[in-house]
Amino acid sequence: MAGIISAVFHIRDKMRVISLSINGFRNLTTIRADFSTGVNIFYGANASGKTNLLEALFTLCLGRSQRGVPDSILLNWNCDVYRLEGLVETKGRQYRLAVAFQRGGRKKLTLDSVQTGLAELYSHFTAVSAGPEDGEILAGPPSVRRAFLDIYLSQYTPNYLTILTQYQRALSQKNAALRREMDPSPFEPQLITFGAKVMHARQGFLSTLGEIASRYHYDISSGEQLVLMYRPTLPHMKVETSVEGFETLLQQRISEYGDRERAVQMTLVGPHRDEIVFEVGGYPARTHGSRGQCRTAAISLKLAIYHMLREKRGMPPLLLLDEVFAELDENRTAALVDAFSGFSQLFMTTATLPPAQLKELGHCYRVVGGHIEDLA
Amino acid sequence: MFNSAESVERLVNWLARLPGIGRKTATRLAFHILKLPAEEALELADIIRDVKEKVSFCSVCCNISETDPCHTCTDPKRRKDIICVVEEPMDAAALDKVDEFNGLFHVLGGRLSPLDGIGPDDLKIKELLARLNDKISEVIIATNPQVEGEATATYLARLIKPMGIKVTRIARGLPVGADLEYADSVTLTRALEGRQEF
Ligand SMILES: [Zn+2]
Repeated sequence: MAGIISAVFHIRDKMRVISLSINGFRNLTTIRADFSTGVNIFYGANASGKTNLLEALFTLCLGRSQRGVPDSILLNWNCDVYRLEGLVETKGRQYRLAVAFQRGGRKKLTLDSVQTGLAELYSHFTAVSAGPEDGEILAGPPSVRRAFLDIYLSQYTPNYLTILTQYQRALSQKNAALRREMDPSPFEPQLITFGAKVMHARQGFLSTLGEIASRYHYDISSGEQLVLMYRPTLPHMKVETSVEGFETLLQQRISEYGDRERAVQMTLVGPHRDEIVFEVGGYPARTHGSRGQCRTAAISLKLAIYHMLREKRGMPPLLLLDEVFAELDENRTAALVDAFSGFSQLFMTTATLPPAQLKELGHCYRVVGGHIEDLA
Repeated sequence: MFNSAESVERLVNWLARLPGIGRKTATRLAFHILKLPAEEALELADIIRDVKEKVSFCSVCCNISETDPCHTCTDPKRRKDIICVVEEPMDAAALDKVDEFNGLFHVLGGRLSPLDGIGPDDLKIKELLARLNDKISEVIIATNPQVEGEATATYLARLIKPMGIKVTRIARGLPVGADLEYADSVTLTRALEGRQEF
């Protein structure tokens, strides 16, 4: 466990959640907690609400769930409003954050009592989460891969979120035009401009991610290969395509597909149809990967992203690990925590009583039936 | 709502339909109006009636006006060869405060938005085309710098350029997502000066 101790110290810039209060979020009706720097362990049975606590922390910092779940589902069945409030410190400054959502209404984000948008949150805060559902990144449908990509690329590249939002708005307008048999072409120049930027950013991010993740995967899996390939719906794409290159390819494809798009009343060309292909041990993960392989590969991906964000943002992201250690013995747990070296704050869940050494590094909380109590 | 008079409730319901007004604010406003002296409350009613009875649209530029054509369209000091195309009357009002601009306006009455069912036929585009002749030297498209405003600009440029008229687009000096009506004069002046030809 020496590795963990050395990892917690030697931090220059850091990000941490000092306190959090929760109302009406999933099964957490009313919770208030203060957290410590270092390790925070949520210990509890299945369905106790410990995973929801991690989701609340992620939603507080970045305005939406790491699972890509809509707000209507985050809202407790018996409540009309969910509200998260917290004090978060980043690079030596403290911010008061709040996220509120009313049933049937819009979500409201505030930073130090001033209403703000997602892009602003992404510019201040950064968080990486890993959990049992991550296997879906490799085994699930393409939309899961795109959601995963967008959530971390938005933290990695400033402006990506703004460009993606513009792209999606132009896309829904073009789709509406196709559905109503109106002329979709006035929206196409923007689909090309924003779409090319989205694709260029995705390609750059995925090529770095692939390189780093495959190294982690090789170590964790004792020698297995992990390969990651960006597969947009464009023909003849060379590896080093520039933004202009993507523009030209998109332009070509859009004019080729005009008739088909009008027939199916849907936009068929663009990054909203992108795919990422993963190969584990030489085989496509989606069709041939075992559950274990996909989970290990997903942890390698998250490790790689954690280190990429740490470097890029100049501080370690908030680290949220859900049941990651369930199948590991104490030594492998230590090795994995060590791999996430240099974190400033780690939140983890466990269904078994955590090892004493880990407890010494921070704080342990028992979660029961949507409530939280200090276990110190 | 608690046990209040039916007409107060009607007022609350009506105010709550105004843009940017929620139920809470509507209730506060309704009770404020209720407490006003009778003559002040009736003055508000008169102003609303005047707005609806006296203000209509200029048949040339489609802006709101109490005369037809409007004072802008008939102003002899204005350049008649430049038309600045905007989405709403408020945008024209904001641009009119900029000293650098001394031409005419054309108000589209919205922007292309298929999601809301708004296509070219729902905007005052036929009226704009009717104004274009060889005396017009430039059409400045000053729709908002959002996805829908840009699409409207693209659509108009494709329509007007083949007529041999210079078509320009105001510069993106405005932050993405910002509305013209809220921009200050300095920003608008810069956006106008930096306009580029399509
Ligand atoms: Zn007029």
